[in-house]
Amino acid sequence: MAILEIKHVSKFFGGLAANSDVSFEVEEGAIMGLIGPNGAGKTTLFNCITGYYPPSKGEIFFKGRRMNGLEPDRVCRLGMVRTWQKVRPLAKLSVVDNVMVGALARTSSLRIARERAMAQLEVVHLAHRAEALAGGLPIGERKKLEVARALATEPQLLLLDEVMGGLNPAESEEIIQLILDIKGRGLTQMVIEHDMKAIMRISDRIVVLNSGEKLTEGSPQEVVTNPDVISAYLGESHA
Amino acid sequence: MPKTLLKAVSGAVVLGALLALPRYVESPYALHMMILLFLSVSQGQSWNILGGYAGQHSVGHAAYFGVGAYTTMMLMHTWQIAPWFGVWFGMALVVVVALAIGSICFRLRGPYFVLASIAVAEILRLSAINLTTLTNGAEGILATDLPAFRIGGRVVTEFLTKVPFYYIGLVLALLTLAITYWVQHSKLGYFLQAIREDQDAAHSLGISISRYKNIALVISAVLTSLAGSFYGIYVGFVDPPTVLGLDVSVQIMLICIIGGMGTLWGPVLGALVLVPLSEALRSNLITEALVQVGLVSAESRVGLFLKENLAHAHVLLYGILVVLVILFMPEGLMGFVRKLASRRKREA
Repeated sequence: MAILEIKHVSKFFGGLAANSDVSFEVEEGAIMGLIGPNGAGKTTLFNCITGYYPPSKGEIFFKGRRMNGLEPDRVCRLGMVRTWQKVRPLAKLSVVDNVMVGALARTSSLRIARERAMAQLEVVHLAHRAEALAGGLPIGERKKLEVARALATEPQLLLLDEVMGGLNPAESEEIIQLILDIKGRGLTQMVIEHDMKAIMRISDRIVVLNSGEKLTEGSPQEVVTNPDVISAYLGESHA
Repeated sequence: MPKTLLKAVSGAVVLGALLALPRYVESPYALHMMILLFLSVSQGQSWNILGGYAGQHSVGHAAYFGVGAYTTMMLMHTWQIAPWFGVWFGMALVVVVALAIGSICFRLRGPYFVLASIAVAEILRLSAINLTTLTNGAEGILATDLPAFRIGGRVVTEFLTKVPFYYIGLVLALLTLAITYWVQHSKLGYFLQAIREDQDAAHSLGISISRYKNIALVISAVLTSLAGSFYGIYVGFVDPPTVLGLDVSVQIMLICIIGGMGTLWGPVLGALVLVPLSEALRSNLITEALVQVGLVSAESRVGLFLKENLAHAHVLLYGILVVLVILFMPEGLMGFVRKLASRRKREA
């Protein structure tokens, strides 16, 4: 069953179409990869889905509910949460307090929120840094914090925007394992990533965007052998 | 455990001393200074909830201070309504004003929010000057005859000395401190700090930005209006510049910024520094002290110059001090204290 349905979504900024007529569905429990060259409109699509921009045209359904026009906080409380490509730690708060802010979306008790936050920190292997200031973390740990904080809001659909960007191979491997663990717990994920090897490994299906339009969609194998995809990434002569 | 015990004991000692003080200190001047201190603590603490925790740097808190002060004074002067009933009208009116301001200003971020908050306070100041039938305009409202305060027919106080004001001020300061403590240790405090640190991230984590900003604003505004009402009945006089002027807004904000924004004890520290300082500058205590110590002779050119000019220059000196604190202690005195404490811990 599709947990998320994107139907003919377009987003215009003035005359520029950042997304135009994009449609696809995300199956419950699956990992959907979202790839495309720089400027293809991947993050804009995330912003439309999570309520930061209203789509100019088209409709978005989450668990069968129409999401157009809902504010990001409503979107989160309905069970869909995103992380940020450029990480956004709450710098002057400790790591565990950051995650508690997420957990407080589901409870008003600080004690319960703290327990849940610590549990999420265990999941991302960041529990030993719980009392550190979030602003002082190196990039690898900031990315993990983003994921832990998002998980603490108890989502059914997690949207990850380049969580591996800027990480070294060992750190990326850790994040890949984390994403697979999260899948094992039955959570649906949509992942934007530039690392092709990683996205091929983790995705059940992949949507390719190019210049705001959906180029193709399919299994990782289908996508990687598609001549249109190769020409979008490498230019006409390689196709 | 001993540390929390130490905190509890020292807190009880300070509180006991503050409660007992009027029994041993009769000097009206000393009591006046303490009352100003309590007033400043409650002003700074009120601003702290919106400016320190939620990160919305309002430079228009005179609006709430002034509306509280004016409402209470107008009710007392025109309809002889006792201030302990009047303050409730003041607070109710301030909630309306705050929500109106919030619905407009919270669409804006950063410097635009600051400008909008100044503008609103200025509109109210100009209204108070020009709506003469209601506010008596620039002449202000003089109402010094407080009715006796009775509970069940028994007279509690007739407000003949400064002592009742001392206790009201103390309760007000403690109330704002307690509310800040509650905010800090609740979901609300977490959400406000998340909004301060990164509004978009907070929004994505399920926090309704407009709702929580407005909650912070209303709490902050109501407490500021209480402080305004207290100021009005204590001084017995309000006019537009003293309760609605831009410098009132700046003064309120500085208590918190100098003490340390977003901390429980910051505004207390800020008030402890600023109240004596502005008093010393205003009444030229500094020149006297220099003469007493013998650094400057009272008859010398320098001595005469200081005597002539230092009192007039108090705003200037005050301004220089503020600039220095902001340059060298960006986290305020609380940040400075914390830095010292952590350095000592590392050395130990």
